[in-house]
Amino acid sequence: MTEREVVLDVPVQPPTDLFLPIPKKFLEEAYRGDDYVVLVGPQHPGSGHMRLILRIKGDVILEAIPDPGYVHRCMEKLAENRLYIQNIPLFERPAIMDTGNVTLGYVRAIENALDVEVPERAKYIRMILAELSRIGTHLYDAGILAVFLGHTTGFMWPFALREPIVEAITRISGVRVTSSFIIPGGVRRDVPWKTLEFVRKTTFVLEKRLKSFEKIFIRNPTVIERLKDVGVLSKEEAIKFGVVGPFLRASGVEYDVRAVEPYEAYDSVSWEIPISDHGDSYSRFLVRVEEIAQSISIIRQAVNELRSMPEGNIISEDILQEYSEVASSDIRGFFFKVFGNLVLPSGEFTSLTEAARGTLLYSIISDGESNIPYRARVITPGWYYLKGFMEALRGERLADLQAIYGSFGYFPPEADR
Amino acid sequence: MIKIKVPKLKMLDSVKLHVDALLTGAKEAIRPGTITIEYPRERRKLPDNFRGYILFSPERCKSCWQCSFVCPANAIKMELASNNRYYPSIDYAKCIFCHFCVDTCPVTALRPTKIHDVVYKDLEEMYTPTEGMVNPPKIIREEKYTVEYVVEGRDLILKRTREMDNLIPEIEPHAEVKEYSTCFDPESCLACGLCVNSCPVEAISITTVGQERRLKIDREKCYGCGICVNVCPMHILKLVKRPEEGG
Amino acid sequence: MPELFGVSDILDVISMQHFVQNMVSIPLIQPVIDFLLQIPVLGYIVALILWKPMFALLIFPGLMTLLTVLLFIIWFERKLTARIQWRKGPLEVLRWAGGVIQALADGLRYFFQEVIVHRDAHRLYFLQFPILIFIPVLLPLLFIPAGTIVGIKSPYSLAITVAVVSLIPVFIVAIGWASNSRFAYIGTVREAFMYFAYEIPFIISVISMILVYGTADMVTIVERQAIPGIILNPIAALVFFITTVMATSRLPFEIPEADQEIAFGPFVEYSGIMFGLVMTIAYEKMYILSLLMSILFLGGGNGPAIPLLGDISGVIWLFIKAMAVMVSLAFLRSIYARLRLDQALRVSWTTIMKISLVSLAIGVIINLTTVGVVG
Repeated sequence: MTEREVVLDVPVQPPTDLFLPIPKKFLEEAYRGDDYVVLVGPQHPGSGHMRLILRIKGDVILEAIPDPGYVHRCMEKLAENRLYIQNIPLFERPAIMDTGNVTLGYVRAIENALDVEVPERAKYIRMILAELSRIGTHLYDAGILAVFLGHTTGFMWPFALREPIVEAITRISGVRVTSSFIIPGGVRRDVPWKTLEFVRKTTFVLEKRLKSFEKIFIRNPTVIERLKDVGVLSKEEAIKFGVVGPFLRASGVEYDVRAVEPYEAYDSVSWEIPISDHGDSYSRFLVRVEEIAQSISIIRQAVNELRSMPEGNIISEDILQEYSEVASSDIRGFFFKVFGNLVLPSGEFTSLTEAARGTLLYSIISDGESNIPYRARVITPGWYYLKGFMEALRGERLADLQAIYGSFGYFPPEADR
Repeated sequence: MIKIKVPKLKMLDSVKLHVDALLTGAKEAIRPGTITIEYPRERRKLPDNFRGYILFSPERCKSCWQCSFVCPANAIKMELASNNRYYPSIDYAKCIFCHFCVDTCPVTALRPTKIHDVVYKDLEEMYTPTEGMVNPPKIIREEKYTVEYVVEGRDLILKRTREMDNLIPEIEPHAEVKEYSTCFDPESCLACGLCVNSCPVEAISITTVGQERRLKIDREKCYGCGICVNVCPMHILKLVKRPEEGG
Repeated sequence: MPELFGVSDILDVISMQHFVQNMVSIPLIQPVIDFLLQIPVLGYIVALILWKPMFALLIFPGLMTLLTVLLFIIWFERKLTARIQWRKGPLEVLRWAGGVIQALADGLRYFFQEVIVHRDAHRLYFLQFPILIFIPVLLPLLFIPAGTIVGIKSPYSLAITVAVVSLIPVFIVAIGWASNSRFAYIGTVREAFMYFAYEIPFIISVISMILVYGTADMVTIVERQAIPGIILNPIAALVFFITTVMATSRLPFEIPEADQEIAFGPFVEYSGIMFGLVMTIAYEKMYILSLLMSILFLGGGNGPAIPLLGDISGVIWLFIKAMAVMVSLAFLRSIYARLRLDQALRVSWTTIMKISLVSLAIGVIINLTTVGVVG
């Protein structure tokens, strides 16, 4: 066999000009002055693909313009072509670890529409799952922050600490990350007592190992040095730029959807809202560390509550209707019969959820006839606080970009949806 | 409300924090809290409700198509078998292991297993026809230990046991509701015959009497798959619970 | 006018007799050596290798030990880090020994990889600097005394060693310049900044130790350390240790190489065995500075003599001490985060500089008052 050269005559011209989603004037002004325009990304800068366009004077960032959308996956448009129930696994995809909260938000929007009262036991199980996800996400973000700062142990330990959480989620739902466990009207299975006991014990493991983690990473002098007084957002700025979640609380605003509009069983357990007045990167991190402690306390209380409840009855009768006798403690066998032709009354139904990274909004518009949503709107916390993130960069050093990025736990797949 | 306090970095505090960090590192170096499971040599003990490879029992299946309807990833395709019945086949390139299909199956024909490490040569091979779903797939098990995470004394411990984990747990069949199809609004029937063609057990028949065409559903033959209910263009069929035996 | 060396003089110098006079004595295997010396050609080679200067160059602290240490410390660092981080670390290469030859396997892989010289590089310098850098790396090893074994004896050996070690960053800057790429430039500039920041406290701490011992000859320094230097002047030891961390760009001062920020800085463009060479520079420097630290502060080859091993006893003590220093340097990697360049510069120009001046004062005081104690 002889080799031969193949010439492909493909009329492709490489692009000659660079497309930037910023006005031309901005570039010209920057070049005429003494400034540089620096593009950070869209290579993976730690937690997803995203580009930052920075205008820099010397070593100081004058202006930061985000260029998100590299991991946009048309979640909302895809949702318009699926059954209501099929959207649950879809909406789980953007936030890797936050499965509990993300599903909970969507399911609660449906429950609002159908006016379904969730059984007490299901409420507690859902709350446990949501809090486990919250701890998992906070640990994940701590790991990303550590790797941005070059602290390898700070990267490995949170990911190892996620392992017991993932194990707990596996025992509850049967899968490690994308649990799809919360369904309209309740949860898919009842959680046996043995599993709940494991979840309770897991919280002690987390507490014990987080103590070492605190010594080696959280209170590490080099970490404090890197994060303290960096990327400060004052209370007024944080409110003005629409920052949400722990990042808003780090700037001194006491706002938490779980406390303001309690859903599930958050009003029957006692917990505190951690806030900080500094608004810098370090307090943004510390607030989330304290939230882990609060979540652990919530999980323990929830497990104690569940101890006194009879097993079974985890799916609402309102949604099961004629199958309520057979399926109220196990949906197996009736999943499609119950949810397959779920039709929402016409109108717009909204739910606000406190996801790990902040407020999560779901809005479903239904035409009242079809079994798919007419329009589904998801606004993830990442998208809310992107502006605040950009404003925090202003006036900081270029080398602090990573520290601020990590302190916000900005997660492009979640923000881009 | 809890106020977070940020530590001040005075000289002495700083030294203390340095020493703390170094001591913690040294402690871990001496007695590490390793939680690695060396996977091919050991295997993690998975709970029985683990969502893995899906097995299929054709003798139980009543070809109701519900699994393929509910699949969020369009991974399940119904295949026509030689006995003129439709059975599901799964494309594992698409499957997201949500097990909505397992929860949907009204007769426990689909069963979950703990198998999660099947290797395929290419994408085409990942399409598993019905025959491939009947028996568990071939996997190579090299493990000598089964590892379980156990909490002992407020710390996570890897409990290694020599036995091989049974990857195909026994699943108890869940409750079934016997139903049959019935027409609640005969006046609206178009007599189009779509339901007749769709019925897998030929329980529905149309007889022509003069100008009238009569639809007849044989309750004995019907096993309540519900295909005709979905097919009917007028939405006048529905499933009704069969009265208890002898009741 | 002095006579030129005759042929007989040269023959004298390279004769076996000349080597045997100044040979490393190891009582444990003396019969074997004696037997080998009888064999014509082999005997000559054995005598040459065991000749003390040649032994210092080839075996310890020279080439052989350097290579072994490189292979070992890279594996050990990964293993220690993994242990602290609840992982297992390299394991699959030679599994029963915990993957100890992982670094060798990586080195072999580097060896068979293509060396890519990119278009914009200064080809000549790009290829020769990683090899030239072995001059300042290997040269100081000749002056370092391991017990009685020393390559070159000189009253200025400490000064020469420090001067040659200080040349290494110049080569790294040259490597960054030859690479001609953005990341390499940023890394080079960072390296240059760090170089100025740590070099002055480093030299001050060395000077304070010269004052303490009253000499710059390392052989004498080791001899005079009845009390180890770390007790005589702990401040200087601290400064030396911190500047060693900076000089070898370990965390928290891993600023020129910062993987997450500038992808290995000056060495970003290298591939294949060339990358293998430049990657090990920091470890080689670490080895030399650890040897230096154990000589200045930990008593060098001093230690309970093991009669069976003869001259090797000092070698072993020095090796153990140097390894202890290297292990503690490797340990830091899993404890600290990376500081920002300006923070590192502030730390070194203010805090460390102040401490180093204190150590110098201690050195002066000791020099003036206690000539009788150590000198």
